[in-house]
Amino acid sequence: MKRMSTDVLVIGGGSTGVGVAWDAALRGLRVILVEKRDLTHGTTGRYHGLLHSGGRYAVKDPQSAIECIEENRILRRTHAHCIEDTGGFFVVTPEDEGDYPDRFKAACAKVGIPCEEIPLREAFRREPLLNPRISRVFEVPDGSADSFLATHVTAQAARQAGAQILIYHEVIDLLTEGGDGDRRVVGARVCDVVRGEEVRIDAAITVNAGGAWAGKIAAMAGVPVNVIPGKGVMVAVNHRLVNTVINRCKMPADGDILVPVHTVAIIGTTDERVSDPEMLTIEPWEVDLMLQEGDKLVPGLSRSRILRAWAGVRPLYQEGYTGESRDATRALALLDHRRRDGVAGFLTITGGKWTTFRLMAEKTVDKVCEQLGVERPCLTATTPVPGAEQGHYWLGHRLHEVEEARLQGDLICECELVTRAMIEQAVANNPTVTLDDLRRDVRLGMGPCQGGFCTFRAAGILHELRLHAQETQAQTDVNGGPPWNVAYLQSPRHSVQTKPAAFNPKVSPLDNPNLLLRDFLQERWRGLTPVLWGRQLKQERLDELIYLTIMNVDHLPEDGEASPLTEFWRFDAAGAKEDGQ
Amino acid sequence: MMLDLLVIGAGLTGLTAALRAAEAGLRVKVIAKGMGALYWTPGTIDVLGYLGAEERAVQRPWERIDELPERHPYRIVGVKRAQEAIEWFRIRTAELGLDYGGRKGGDNALTPSPVGAWRPSYLLPAGQRAGDAEDGRPMVIVGFQGMRDFYPHLIARNLEAQGQAARAAVLPWSVLSERRDRNSVQLAEALDEPTTQQRLIDALRLVVKPGERIGLPAILGREAHARVLTALTQELNAAVFEIATLPPSVPGIRLATALRRSLEGRGVRVEIGMEAIDFHAQDGVIEFVETATSARPLKHRAKAFLLATGGVLGGGFDSNPDGRFWETVFDLPLTTPQDRRRWFRPLFLDPQGHPALRGGVAVNDAFQPIDAAGNVVYANLWAAGGLLAHADPIAERSLEGVAIASAVAAVEAIKLGSFAHA
Ligand SMILES: Cc1cc2nc3c(=O)[nH]c(=O)nc-3n(C[C@H](O)[C@H](O)[C@H](O)COP(=O)(O)OP(=O)(O)OC[C@H]3O[C@@H](n4cnc5c(N)ncnc54)[C@H](O)[C@@H]3O)c2cc1C
Repeated sequence: MKRMSTDVLVIGGGSTGVGVAWDAALRGLRVILVEKRDLTHGTTGRYHGLLHSGGRYAVKDPQSAIECIEENRILRRTHAHCIEDTGGFFVVTPEDEGDYPDRFKAACAKVGIPCEEIPLREAFRREPLLNPRISRVFEVPDGSADSFLATHVTAQAARQAGAQILIYHEVIDLLTEGGDGDRRVVGARVCDVVRGEEVRIDAAITVNAGGAWAGKIAAMAGVPVNVIPGKGVMVAVNHRLVNTVINRCKMPADGDILVPVHTVAIIGTTDERVSDPEMLTIEPWEVDLMLQEGDKLVPGLSRSRILRAWAGVRPLYQEGYTGESRDATRALALLDHRRRDGVAGFLTITGGKWTTFRLMAEKTVDKVCEQLGVERPCLTATTPVPGAEQGHYWLGHRLHEVEEARLQGDLICECELVTRAMIEQAVANNPTVTLDDLRRDVRLGMGPCQGGFCTFRAAGILHELRLHAQETQAQTDVNGGPPWNVAYLQSPRHSVQTKPAAFNPKVSPLDNPNLLLRDFLQERWRGLTPVLWGRQLKQERLDELIYLTIMNVDHLPEDGEASPLTEFWRFDAAGAKEDGQ
Repeated sequence: MMLDLLVIGAGLTGLTAALRAAEAGLRVKVIAKGMGALYWTPGTIDVLGYLGAEERAVQRPWERIDELPERHPYRIVGVKRAQEAIEWFRIRTAELGLDYGGRKGGDNALTPSPVGAWRPSYLLPAGQRAGDAEDGRPMVIVGFQGMRDFYPHLIARNLEAQGQAARAAVLPWSVLSERRDRNSVQLAEALDEPTTQQRLIDALRLVVKPGERIGLPAILGREAHARVLTALTQELNAAVFEIATLPPSVPGIRLATALRRSLEGRGVRVEIGMEAIDFHAQDGVIEFVETATSARPLKHRAKAFLLATGGVLGGGFDSNPDGRFWETVFDLPLTTPQDRRRWFRPLFLDPQGHPALRGGVAVNDAFQPIDAAGNVVYANLWAAGGLLAHADPIAERSLEGVAIASAVAAVEAIKLGSFAHA
């Protein structure tokens, strides 16, 4: 068995884990991060896209609100290019009666969130589609944030500072030593799921940043951690119905935030306790509820073309808490299992939000340093990640660059304006195992046609790149090679300019274009079926014409094989059988 | 003078029906919202490629028709009449310069798809016949550097995996065009020019080995296709075939163009950009259909009406989040489940297809739409093609066969029945 050793082993490649790896590496610690799939495979890649101002929590959870506004200010500097400065409104609709708006305003003032009531006329000028019956509007510094990019560039920063990031590496057991009352975690047994090999990692301290899976991971060391999985459903609408984040000014509830994210607007979310963080099935009533609530913010939202629905699972932690998950605190929780459970060398960091990932990492690494007996200050608040000098992104940034550089003929995904060079860059500079990984890198297949044209094209391009890599015997280790360079993946112009120099595909041994196609089509289908009617259904039928009539992809050779993405659809099929369909 | 027949829909079904009706001496007109799915399809005539969950492609489609559901359009038409309809279509398109042909003995031909899977088709246009698996000779699949809709290595890889000797070759883009932003149709137009043809022939000479069949993206001329194909075959002394890829699809466009020109030649008008938005019926007889235009609504009167709007794909059906599925012109009863939870199976590639896409307009033996009780809905209304119930032409790979067979059968029924009401 392959063996590695490190000071800090981080489990989980969501925003929290990657943040911990970045922070620890900047403080000079040796770090290995393991993620069972791609970075942002968990909740971080399935969230709502809101850089919180803290307004949402000001009344109910002031501690969370303070954390949000402070981190909001920091991330706007350190992760500038991952953020669109949309601003946010809290709006009072006819249903939001009572004294909440005034309490909200006072609470914002108290925790230090800039909040100004703006004239209705101005609000409607800026957001003409807003419900005309809205009676008050407060403006706060919310933003829209791209967690795919943010997590990838943070990982790049961590690697540049010396961290090792191992994706497609799943922790299957925690290694412990010692007996009752004197136990410690000394590392983990990890499975390299692409190669099917086991790796043993010895670590002075193990950090469990497994999000909604944190309870399962802690259980491997015999430690009970009660993470409440709260499933939230989000629905993407084909247009930017608004350019500002719109929140209902009331106690947090279902479907009360509309976030403009890149070319779409996302209405969310729900909060349902589920038994397993992999249970991401979406029920019709959940979608209906989102559309119904969405209409209260932007009348007619429910009749727009709906692109997709998905669910994420909140990692809400509260010691001994058993109530409704919406009422559990959003504050972060750092568990020192030495003090709590008598198991040393093991920390769990859970709860919190994307917005507070840096703070969560800081607190965690403070504790790591304390336990390792070293004193090193946290540097993340003042260290911009690669690419931050580009400044905030804006809606037209891709179109602008594509037009300026005349790249129309090289568009592989016309909906999201992804060029061939961007795909080549993403594959060359960042590990890619499935087309879904590429989606998270460059937004492939996320637009109106949901992969209709680009799935085929991307599979063809990846196949050619891999052939080329085999011919030139390029590096074939997913996680090897020089630091990833993902800071400019979103820029069509930059990809073209740098293409000749940087070509070094770190390809995976998983070289089957047919699987890439099939799994990605299934992944898209999964998000489509809950919202498939009207025009989107017509689009879907065209995609069927392409993949069945024209391509015959359901009769490709080797269709019995499986990839790391396949387990999703295996799960879908199993779920259907249980329903008796 | 009043029309005998108004055909709604200008896809393969609508155009075929109009041609058949004109041939029978009916005064016919076609109106449609858009161009129809022909512009997206590979231009082959697929009769039946797969049956249910059976993995293997159907070998002899006509021998398997009786395994389809009882009210499947083919079973209503009957095997013999369906065969005759396809043969009639083959002869007519041959007269239009499109040389369709298939394997001997009524077997499906198998040609490479753009991902290198074998596609089962009953008839192939001349430009695709040399790609048939039956031929056995090795293939060289030739692409063009940076062409986003064609990946020769991927095709060759999968053909090899299925036992067909194949390799890939890539030519510079500049052989075809100086401009990068050209789609298949624009490339085909470029190849209508003799100078471009010659450049392609010269470039192919450098990569093709003796004895190889040459597979190219389907861009071998739009208007001059027959000439381009002959020139390549003769000058290179090799079999040449096209592989139709992502829409827009040149072979489908060639077929649509030929059919439309033939209709024009017979004085049949095909009016595109006419969305049927309303209709008027009296005592169960449709008097006119109204279309939206920029100026004012137009009324189209006829003795008989044929609905050929193509189901979900053609825009003939619409649906909403309440689980309602409806037919957009006459609000005809549909067999589709009116419950969103029952529309789709969890796997995209489920061999059974999806219930929402198998539902449609149920018809009687004369292809007249009927309600759940079996009663004819309108005395002078017929329906054909992709909107018919109990078939999923995309899952079955029966798109063109169902279109042609049901169009011909419906027109035959109209000839017999419609004028009784007039
Ligand atoms: C519906 C919804 C909407 C949200 N919207 C917002 C928002 O708008 N703004 C905001 O700030 N916050 C939002 N949040 C909260 C935010 O998304 C999460 O708090 C945050 O993404 C959690 O990140 P994480 O790294 O802790 O967990 P995750 O992203 O879930 O990361 C955990 C990782 O651990 C990996 N893992 C699990 N088991 C193993 C194993 N055995 N071995 C190796 N790896 C393993 C998983 O694959 C996963 O990638 C939202 C949450 C939900 C559910």
